[in-house]
Formats: sequence, C-alpha cells, structure tokens
Amino acid sequence: MALEKMIPLMLDGIRDTMYMTTVSTLFAYLLGLPLAIALVLTSPKGLAPRPLIYRVMDAVVNIFRSIPFLILMILVIPLTRLIAGRAYGSTATIVPLVIAAAPYVARMIESSLLEVDPGVIEAAQSMGASIPEIIFKVIIPEAKTSLIVGATISSGTILGYSAMSGAIGGGGLGQIAISYGYNRYQTDVLLVTVILLIVLMQAIQLIGMYISRKTDKRVRE
Amino acid sequence: MALIELRHLSKTFKGKTQIVEALKDINLEINQGDIYGIIGMSGAGKSTLVRCINFLEKPTGGSVVIDGKDLASLTPKALRSLRQEVSMIFQHFNLLQQRDVRGNIAFAMEIAGMKKADIDKRVDEMLEVVGLTDRQHNYPSQLSGGQQQRVAIARALSTNPKIILCDEATSALDPQTTTSILNLLREINKKMGITIVIITHEMSVVESVCTHVAIIDNGDLVENGTVEDVFSQPKSQAAKKLIFRKAGADMGSLGERMIRIVFEGSASTDPVIASLAMECHVAANIMYADTRDVNGKAFGQMILQLPEDKLQQEKAIYYLQSKGLRVEEVTSGGA
Repeated sequence: MALEKMIPLMLDGIRDTMYMTTVSTLFAYLLGLPLAIALVLTSPKGLAPRPLIYRVMDAVVNIFRSIPFLILMILVIPLTRLIAGRAYGSTATIVPLVIAAAPYVARMIESSLLEVDPGVIEAAQSMGASIPEIIFKVIIPEAKTSLIVGATISSGTILGYSAMSGAIGGGGLGQIAISYGYNRYQTDVLLVTVILLIVLMQAIQLIGMYISRKTDKRVRE
Repeated sequence: MALIELRHLSKTFKGKTQIVEALKDINLEINQGDIYGIIGMSGAGKSTLVRCINFLEKPTGGSVVIDGKDLASLTPKALRSLRQEVSMIFQHFNLLQQRDVRGNIAFAMEIAGMKKADIDKRVDEMLEVVGLTDRQHNYPSQLSGGQQQRVAIARALSTNPKIILCDEATSALDPQTTTSILNLLREINKKMGITIVIITHEMSVVESVCTHVAIIDNGDLVENGTVEDVFSQPKSQAAKKLIFRKAGADMGSLGERMIRIVFEGSASTDPVIASLAMECHVAANIMYADTRDVNGKAFGQMILQLPEDKLQQEKAIYYLQSKGLRVEEVTSGGA
C-alpha cells in the first residue's frame, strides 16, 4: 500500500484502538472496583463476611471470565444493539469489551486489595475506623502501587481484546489487520498494524510502571 | 472502680475439626495508672486476651467493662468511639507504608474526626514527645524498627487515650531499642497517667516497667498481683517456669537435693553463701543465681545444690532460714 494511503489509515486505526481501550478500561473499572470491594468485604475472612453473597458474586465473575472473548462478543450482540444502536464499529465494541473486562478487572483489584497487610487493617480497627474509612483511607491507598500495576496489565489485556474484536466488526487496528492483511493479502499493512500494537502495548506498560514506581513510598531511597 | 474489668471472660475458637479454648474464665481488674504486664508462653492466649479488651475479638463468654461501660452492650458506633480511648500498638508496628510519619500520626485523629488545623498542631506535639521531629517527612520504610514503634506510639497517644494496649510491642526490637521504648512508655504512664497493658513473653519487659503482672498459661489466668509479690513468691508452676526458666533448664539431669533461696530487699546485700561456708562449714554448690532490680528493690534467687550428708543439709537450711531467707525445695526438673 502506498505510504500516503497507509499513514491516514493507521492514524485512524490508532485513534480508534486507543478510544476503545481507554473508554472500555474506564467503564471496566467503574464496574470492577465496586465488585472487587464487595468481594473483599463479603468474603468469609473479610470485614463484613456474607458467605452467600460472596459465593454468588464469585461464581458470576468466574462464569464471565470463562467465556472466550470472541464468543462473548457474539453472545451479547442483542445487548450491544440495545446500548450502542448497532453491533459493529468502535463504539459498539466497547459494550462487549466492558463486559469481558469488568470481571477480569475485578479479580485484579481483588488480589491487589488482599495484599494489604492485615496488621495495618487491624490497627485501623483498633482506632475505631469504620468499614468505609478502612476501605478508602487504608486499603485502597496502601494497595495503590499494586492497583496501578494491575491497571497496566488490565489495559494491556483490553488492548488485545480490542484488536481481536476486529475479526467480527470491531474497529481500530485489529479491523485494519484483518480486512487488509487477512482478507486482501496485504502483508505490509498486517505488519505495520502488528508493530503499532506492539508499540502501544509497550507504551502502556512503560507509563504504568513509571507511575507505580514514582508513587510507591515503600522503596528505600 | 477498676478502669478495666474482665469478668469470667472466655473465648473459644471453633475450627472445622477442633474447638480451641483460647481463654478460660479470666477475671482481672486493672486500675487507672497501672502498667499491667500480661505474660505467658507463646500460644498461651495472651494476644487473644488483649484483643478482647478492645473487642477486636469478641469474647464468647463473660464481659469486658471499660470505665464502667460493658463493651458487649455498645452499638458498633459507640464501640468505635470507645476505641479512640483505648489505643493499641503492635509487634510489627502496623504503620501505613504509603504515608509519611506525619501522615501516620494524623491518621488516628482523622478517624477521630478532628479538624485539620488541630491535627497539625497535635502532630507537632506528638513528634516532640517521641523525639522524631527531624524524621517527620520520612516514610516507614526509611525508619528503623525503634523509630517505627515511636511513630506507632505517637499515633496511639494522639487521640488522648485512657489506655494503651501493647501487643508484644518490643518483641521485634533489639535489647537497646526495647529499653528505650519501655522508658518512653513508663514516661507516658507517669506524665500523662495513661494506663498501659503490656502483652509479652519476655520476663525482662515485665521486670523493667510493669507495676502488676498476670500470668496466662494455656488459656487460664494462673496468677496475678503486683510484680514484687508474684516475682518473689511465685505460686503457680507456670509462674515459676517463667521466672526461673533458665534455672529449670539446667536442673533436669541432677538428682541431688537442691533448694531455692529467695532474697527480698536488704537480705540480698548480705554475703550469706560465703557465711554459710565459713560459719557452718557447708559447701553448697551454686547452680543458678540471679539478682534482679524490681522497682527499686533488690530481689534475687539462687539455686543451691547441697552436700549429700543429711545433717549438713538440715544445718544449711536452718542457717539460711535464720537469716530471714525463704527456702524452698526444688524437685528435679520441675522448678
């Protein structure tokens, strides 16, 4: 493909991919964070144990996580139409992306929150802290570094999903790779999209790790 | 009325296969201004006991009354506000790793709902008390264990508590740092009149700072009283084991007659053993000797191995008793 055609195509692709990834990650966190907090609180060893509620949420998360993304995308087409008005394109793809990523994000956050030293939580309890105070003043700030690392990994995974969605009508670099590289045998386009995806992934990883290192106070200077 | 009253306190943990009675019918009164040591071997139940005092562990039986309030009768909210009067410090300090020294001290006051300006002022005062003003912007990972425990003490003091509970607060520290932390606690007790409960497995901690002591063994409170009384006349096996731990370890193999003599107050300055040898011509073998300074008074004990001759043994015991010392038989291995 000629360079003057390739560049605008790729710029559009990057823009769409970044749009899908950031918006999906944002919504996945909006759903995943409360879910993770609820999981941590209601677990049998949590601050407010509710074994039944915990088991139900735990099972729901596992069910959604066990459906492969492409199949999930097809499964939720009716819902996607309902929310986005159509089942193809970048905006529409956000719906299945969020549904697939939210349980994943919830697990990532849950594991970060569980890493917090129980002794610190006990100390807060001994000072008379309430459960919301323990969550927002102790657990989340103490888990900050791990949460940022988790967000880095999660947005990387969502980037991968968004590329996969190109196979059945999603937008962005994945769609370009499939419609040009696979359907029309334009290997040069395929290669460029792959390189761009690698660059994007690296950028996410580098920025995420930089922020987590900068904000972590546990490191000796 | 006692500041802390434990009445028939019991705590049972139910596991899947077994039931563990961590505390059995504990009765204890701790008065305002006491420094009360609770000592026991690990696994004796002392950590559970201290967590029952602020209801971090809910007892399965009996009651905890603090300042006239029965904790079981309090609403969750009232319990949380009571906890602001009962601070706690821990073996592993339990500081917020992502907050600096100031932030950690401020934390307890934020929970207590104090205003920002008041918090700042109080943080400065607390930094002064624990001597960490120059470290106020450091993070816990940049501090030594002793400094971290000082931060924890400042945090505990900041809300003006009536009681400070110390759960093995010096167990992770070296002897020198332990001494400085204990001195700080003693100073806090003297200057501010704060009642302190110290959980420990180290006898030396009780000796150096406590006014009273309770001995917990296998979930039972076996003995309690002033440190002087308990240390000079331990009655229970557990107390004897803790107080003469070192001696007990040495005696298992010896079957000959041994006695323990106890020095109280002035008697420990007399050269009794030398006199015993010179005046009665009895050569006693000193198996173990230890003199301790308990709250300004000298206390000591010695374990003597007596000669095989029965007459000489009686002579020695009679002589020691005539000097005003308490003499006890030590059975092999069971000190």
